[in-house]
Amino acid sequence: MWIVTGPPSCGKTLLMRILRGERHPDSGDVIVGGESLYRGSPEHNRRFRADSGVVPESFPREAGKTVVDLFRLSALVAEGVPGAEQESRMAELLPLVGLSGAEGEEVASLSTSERTRVALAVELFRNPRYLFLDMVLANAGSEWADKLGGLLRALAREERTILMMERQLPEKWQAAIVSSSRPAGPFLLYRLGGPRPVRMAAAEPPPVETLPEKTGVWE
Amino acid sequence: MSGPSLWWIDWSLHGGSMRKEAAGRFLLCFLAALYFLTMLLSGGVSRFLSGQYTITAILRIGVPDEEGAGIAAKVAVMAPVREAHYRTPDEAWEEFLVAYPGLETLRSEGKNPLPGYVEVRLRPGRMSEEGIAEIRSALTPLSQVEKILSGGDVMPGLLRMKLWANALLWSGFALVCVVFLVILAMQERTRAARLFPDVSFLAERGIPGNRIAVRRAAGAFLAGGVVAVLATGASFFALLLASGRFSLVRTVVGPAEELLAARFLPAVCVFLLAASIFPGLASLAGWRAAYPKGR
Repeated sequence: MWIVTGPPSCGKTLLMRILRGERHPDSGDVIVGGESLYRGSPEHNRRFRADSGVVPESFPREAGKTVVDLFRLSALVAEGVPGAEQESRMAELLPLVGLSGAEGEEVASLSTSERTRVALAVELFRNPRYLFLDMVLANAGSEWADKLGGLLRALAREERTILMMERQLPEKWQAAIVSSSRPAGPFLLYRLGGPRPVRMAAAEPPPVETLPEKTGVWE
Repeated sequence: MSGPSLWWIDWSLHGGSMRKEAAGRFLLCFLAALYFLTMLLSGGVSRFLSGQYTITAILRIGVPDEEGAGIAAKVAVMAPVREAHYRTPDEAWEEFLVAYPGLETLRSEGKNPLPGYVEVRLRPGRMSEEGIAEIRSALTPLSQVEKILSGGDVMPGLLRMKLWANALLWSGFALVCVVFLVILAMQERTRAARLFPDVSFLAERGIPGNRIAVRRAAGAFLAGGVVAVLATGASFFALLLASGRFSLVRTVVGPAEELLAARFLPAVCVFLLAASIFPGLASLAGWRAAYPKGR
């Protein structure tokens, strides 16, 4: 689980888009599973994006769209999930982010914190292997930082790679940092939780782990 | 939530507006199908004209009724002929008296001055100069036939007018189709633009826009097919009701049950196929308009 912190407009979102394979970097590269997201096959890039979830900093507030509509949209990405399983997964996820019974709520009527948590649940719905979260802690509010931290750490223990972009870490989180912070241009990069199991590292290196060594956007 | 698919993304995410659009499309398709079936059955003005027009073969006086009936039976099996009937001299006399009452005195000493005749009606689609000539050439050599009345010099002009009237009516149908297409394309374009946030969501998660466009079009094709079948069925029953209740409809358009004949099946299938393809094409065109290449 990685966290990139930096001041406003320093390029956190841009970095996240580059790491997701959405924005070609001016220099450098992003390697996932031994293949470049930009110089490799478009299908590799597509598969990576399909296998990852993203919670943007600002979530579109479309009039008339309900929480269940967002889950439907997410289900379109995860084609092949039976309808009954989708129902039960949604019923499990919403309480996890404190929004039990919010299925019929209009997204536009939710607070920023609620929208952010809904967006996270919508991404978790597809069980992504990689999770990109932009300002989730800041938008969810301080009262949710610990709960979301617990949830995200649990996900990281399930061998998911999580990359968070935040302006600053909550104070309690500072204590949980395992490896020391490392300055990287305008950003600070943190790694939370224990080191990844050796067998995972050998099988497939996590995609963001190689980033500090890259030049270009980091400088 | 039931297993959604990109085929039904519009229904899944914009179910409310899709239901309204589908109702509108059903109405449009119903009108187009009613127009089409009416044209198919009536042949434009052909059925009405062929109902009014007869070729009359006047037989010589003294031709036995059996021979007259035999001529009518032979003519009836010719391709352009819808029906052929022999009228005996007595029947001809009764018809004459109905038309000209008070002229009973013409029948002096009980002798009937009128001959029998064969009345021939053509099929709506075969009411042409060629069709008329075919009947004339079959009847002319017969020694029992004294005279053939087939409209004379007026007929070519009348047949030309029929062609123009039919062309005008089919143009009307083409116009209905064009309006249908334009409305479909506008609906699709608006909806594709409204889908933009959803498409962005999917694209960010690795679903290519082209795949969404093609699957939406396939869904629109299937949904269009269902709407077309329902609308065509409804228009058939409407025509059946109207032709059963109003004799004018039966005279001008024809009996709707004739549409069940196998000869109409290919045309109806083409109509249904076109009504299914139109929404699919409109879906693709709307997508392309809302998302030009590179967007």
